[in-house]
This record gives sequence, C-alpha cells and structure tokens, in this order.
Amino acid sequence: MLPIIVLLVGPFIAGLLSLVIGCSRLLHVVNFSTMLALVGADTALTTRILSHGPIIALGDLVYIDALSAFILLIITTIGLSCSLYMWSYMDEQVARGIIAPKRLSVFFFLFHMFLLAMVAATIANSLGVQWVALEGTTLATTFLIAFVRRRESLEAGWKYLILCSVGIALALFGIVLTYYSSVRVLGDVSAALNITSLIGVADRLDPHVLKLAFIFILVGYGTKVGLVPMHTWLPEAYSEAPAPVAAMLAGVLETVAVYAIVRSKILVDQALPPEFSANLLMLFGFISFAVAAFFMLIQHNYKRLFAYSSIEHMGLVMIGFGIGGVAGTFGALFHLLNHALAKALAFFTAGNIHRRFNTVEIDGVKGLAKAQPVTAVALVVAGCALVGLPPFSPFFSELLIVLSVATQDFASDTIHAGRFITVTISDEVRSLGTVSLLMLFALIAFGGFMYRIGAMVWGEAPEGSIQPERWTPGYVSLIAMIVALIGLGFALPGPLKLLLNQAVKVVLAR
Amino acid sequence: MSSMSPHAGSQLVDLCAVLLLLTCFAIVAQRRLSACVDLFALQSLFLAATAALVAFLTGIHHIYIAAALTILIKVFVIPRILKKVIERLNVSRELVMNVNIPAGLLICGALVIIAFFITQPIIPLGYLLTRDSLAIALAIVLIGFFTMIARKKAVTQMVGFLVMENGLFLGATAAAYGMPLIVELGVFFDVLVAGLIVGIYTHRLQDAFDSVDTSTLTVLKE
Repeated sequence: MLPIIVLLVGPFIAGLLSLVIGCSRLLHVVNFSTMLALVGADTALTTRILSHGPIIALGDLVYIDALSAFILLIITTIGLSCSLYMWSYMDEQVARGIIAPKRLSVFFFLFHMFLLAMVAATIANSLGVQWVALEGTTLATTFLIAFVRRRESLEAGWKYLILCSVGIALALFGIVLTYYSSVRVLGDVSAALNITSLIGVADRLDPHVLKLAFIFILVGYGTKVGLVPMHTWLPEAYSEAPAPVAAMLAGVLETVAVYAIVRSKILVDQALPPEFSANLLMLFGFISFAVAAFFMLIQHNYKRLFAYSSIEHMGLVMIGFGIGGVAGTFGALFHLLNHALAKALAFFTAGNIHRRFNTVEIDGVKGLAKAQPVTAVALVVAGCALVGLPPFSPFFSELLIVLSVATQDFASDTIHAGRFITVTISDEVRSLGTVSLLMLFALIAFGGFMYRIGAMVWGEAPEGSIQPERWTPGYVSLIAMIVALIGLGFALPGPLKLLLNQAVKVVLAR
Repeated sequence: MSSMSPHAGSQLVDLCAVLLLLTCFAIVAQRRLSACVDLFALQSLFLAATAALVAFLTGIHHIYIAAALTILIKVFVIPRILKKVIERLNVSRELVMNVNIPAGLLICGALVIIAFFITQPIIPLGYLLTRDSLAIALAIVLIGFFTMIARKKAVTQMVGFLVMENGLFLGATAAAYGMPLIVELGVFFDVLVAGLIVGIYTHRLQDAFDSVDTSTLTVLKE
C-alpha cells in the first residue's frame, strides 16, 4: 500500500515543491531523493508481486502485475540515472545562460509531472485512466522539448503536441470501442474498462468491435512509440529536447507507450485468433525497422541519428511481441530494458558532446577520444550496444527476437511482413527470407551508425575543445549504465529473470 | 425514465447528432478564425444537449455531469482562451489552405460515407436509443482529423483537435452511454490543459516566427 502511495504522491509533491524552491542545489536534492524513493517503492512492489502475485489497490484503480512492475523498473532506474545526470547538465546550462535560473523550477515541475503521468499510465487498472495519463505525458513534455526557446525547439514541441494529441485521440476512439464491447458483457459498470474485469470476459467480447478497437489503439499509441509512418515528430523532438529530457523520452516514454499497446494486445488475443494482432505488430515493426535503418544512413546530426535508432529498436520490439511465443516475448521485454539503458546513455553522451563542441552536426565533432575520454568511451559503448554487438546486453535480446522469428512455426500465410517482401513458397524459406532481411537492415543500420560514431571519436580534436573533464555526478550515471549494459550481457540477476519470466506469462496470458 | 417512446427518443438523439455533424461542415467551410471558434462552441452546445437528452431518456445520472462539464469547458472556457489568442494575432482569416474549401467539403462528404461503412458491422450491437450516432461520431472524428491537416493556423488546428474530441465524446455517449466517470473527468482535464498549452504556444510562436501560420515552421528539415 505504502509503496503505491509513494509512487503516485512522490512525484506530485516533488513537482509542487520544485515550484517554490529557488535554490538549484535543493532542487536537485529533491529530485534525486524522489527518484530514490521511487526506486525503493518499485523494489518493494516487485518483491511482493514475485511472491504473492498481482496487487490491486486504491479501490479498483491500481493494478500492478509482473508486466507493469517491469515497466516501472525501467521508468525508475532510468529516471534515477537521469536525475544524477541533470545535476551537472542543468547547472551548466544555467551557468552558461542558456536557461534562466528562475526557469529551473518550472523545468523540474514539468519533469515530475511527466514522471507522474508515466507511473500512472503504468499502474492504472482502467484502460481509460491509462489513456488520460498517456495524454498527460504529451502535455507535460511538450514544454520540456521546447524548453530552450529557440525557433527550432518551438517548432519541434508544437509538432510533437499536435501529432501525438491527434494520434492519441484515435487511440481514445479505440478505447471507446473496447468499452462498447465490454459493456455488452459486463453491463454499465464503471469497472467495464478495468484490466482485471476485462481479462475474465475477454473471450466473450465481440471480435468485430475489438478488431476495430485494436487498429485504432495501435495507430494511436504507435504514434507515441514512433512507429513509421507516424514517426515524423520523433527525430525533431529528440534532437531539440535538452539531453536528459531526450533520454527520458527515448528510453522511458516509448517503453510506456509500447506497454499500453501490449495491454490491448493481451486482451485482443483472447477474443481473436492471435494472428490478427501478430500480423499488425509485425507489419508496423518491420516497416519501422527497415525505414529507420535507411534514414540512419543519411543523418548528419548525431541526436537525430540516435532518434532514428530508437525507431529501429521499437520496430524490433514490435516484431518480438508480434512473433510471440516465450522466446519472442522474452526478447522483446528484455530489449525494452536494454534499449532504455543504451539509448539513455547515448543521449547523455550527446548532451556532453553538445556542451563541449556546441554543435549537433556529426562533421563538427572530431577527436572526442582526446577531448572527452570518458564520454568517448560511453559513446562507443552506447553505439556498440545500439547496433547489437556482443558482449552488450542488447545483442542477446536482439538475438532472441531474430531467433524466434527464424524458428517460428508459420502455420499458414500469417506473416504480412514476409509476404510483402519475400516472394517465396515454403514457410521455412519465408522465415529464412524474413530473417535475412532483418539481418540486412540491421547491417545497414550497423554500417551507418558505426561509421558516424567512428568519425566523432577519432581524428584531431579542434582547438579549445580539449579541457580536462571535471568530475560531476553525471559521470556516475554514465559509468553505472556502461556497467549495466555489460553486466546484463553476461548474466541476468535472479530476481530480474524471475520478473521477466512472470511478465512473459502475463503477456501470453498463461 | 421518461414516458417517451424509445423510437421518438432515438429520433431526437439522431437529430442532435446530425446537428453536430452539420457544424463540422460549417467549420470546414469557414475562413474566419473567430467564426470557427464560435462554431466549435455551438457544436459543443449541441453535444451537451445530446448528452443531457441521453441522460434524461435513460435515467443515467452521471451523463448529466459530463454534459455540464461540456458546457463549462467546451462552450465557455476553451472558446474564450482561443478568442483571446486570436485577438492578439495579426490575422483574422485564413487565406491560404492546404485544401481549398469546395474540395474540403467534398472530402468531408466522403469521410462521412467511410465512417458509415466502417461502423456498419458493429452498429447492431449497440443500444437501440443511440446506436446510429456511432457512425456520426466516427465521421466527426475523421472530419476533425482532416481539419487539422487542411488548415495551417495553429488556432484552427486546435479547433480540429477539439472537434475530434467532441466526436469521441459523442461516440462514447452513443456507444455505451458515456465512459466511466473517472475517465470522463480525466479527459476533460486533459482537454482543458491542452487548450491552455495551445494558448501559451501561440504566444511563443507569434513572438518567435511573427506568425502562427504553422507552414512557417520549416526550420527543421531532413
């Protein structure tokens, strides 16, 4: 009980406190301690769920099972490292006059509201409340993206607000339709949108309505995930947002939006043959994966490069959830965590590079290995992790997803992505075709990504960019994330493995 | 419960829904920004009337709350914010659009047909009283979506978003006699905050770009 209250009230109070605190050091302390409290609360909840099963609390409002606990884990850990990074990043932005000292309070207020909305979206029992919270994340982050009031930032923030609001309005129509189908079965009760009551009656819901509902929800929340072709806001928002915000958007918000789609998928899979949702997820996933790989080749801006890499990875996650099975789902969930770690690390380094070189152009950055050795190491690690090189953990989750695609027993013409692109007859050959195409696009992304990063890390550093790196709290989170990326590649801690396994069971509804 | 026959009640609800759809067309055909906002307020009024009618005919009381909130937020508060924004602007009409008005109206007509087509298989599942409105609701959502694409001014894009929201609300009322109260309250809160944010944005866009024409937002390119 107490942990849930901490999760919901913590960010809220911290947000209000931030508004009245003027001193920046105190703001950081409040921020960091809130994040610590959230991590603690999440750990307590997870321990309970692992031993006692799902938690229902606050009337029927809150429902936390292994899946939501896992997403909470991503939110809180990335949030914690982000708060450490902000300690140095925001202070320097203020010192350089990019952000007025007074506006720091507003920044932290919005940041905590963002956090609150994400937590609420993850633990909400009602799909309707989940929608409200997800729209809340859009509203809270639009000014975070446009926080540095340049023209470009305003433009990116406005595009983000409009595109995501529209997308998510479509998702609301999907939720209305879900309600339409469940009210027929459950009667006009306020619980008719609750995950807990929907799961029990899912097989009796009308399949036609649910089909339509799922399409609206996938397109709607897919806009927030950044699936192609609803991705156009994403590179702009990620490249204009301050680095810690971009890290939270890329690492955490996408994860929460994926979570919302998965929740609907669990429901739809019980009323409809699983191929229906699988086909749609695979189709969007494959297109996103392929398109993003090509766009990564032509980027000149390293933040945009990371943004397109996010689209690519989310495509892969969608393929994993689409292909389903224990291996595919496990891979997709594990990949969410790995991507969050690697992408947050990438944006932290992007923030460091931007502060030193004052440019977001890849051509403007040279000799990072000499100018900022720690950042250079972090960038190389993040880059290798994001292209899926061993021994970093994303390699293993990607491998799981690709393997599950390869070994999937294609019953009939079920895989749209395969049918679209490969003209083959037998199922085995088709799966092989899909896998080789996946590998091809991964290779394209690999080439584009490593080439750019190599260009940034080596070479002669420009005059004046070589200054000793000052030791700041931000480096703690850089190092912690490098360690996590390598560590998770070698061994999964027991509790995490247990949590993942239970989350897989939730997704597969077993 | 009212003594009115379900048939007459259903006709009345349909009438209200059709009025909502008509205001959509009026918005698409209107160039003046402030008139668009007025039309949106009128549409919200019709929406509140529909909701109140459904509440009256079915005796479900929480729909009254939603109707009252619609009047407060969508008829008074948000139009007021948008009007204030327009006052500050240097333009009152939208001269250049992505799609001209006659073509826009035609497209909207097509959207209505599509909406009826999509909802055809699922309409028989609904309540007798309101089930025909579901198609109209989807039509309104699609037209709102189209308005956001066709228009360039930040204010009219916001009106398009609000029209979508009205369509969704009508859909929820039609399909299931309204969403659970907590969800509806949350949605109203989000819409209100979105209205405020757009208000702030238009100020900043005006300061930065000397225009709220979103087609000037072209600094960011591939």
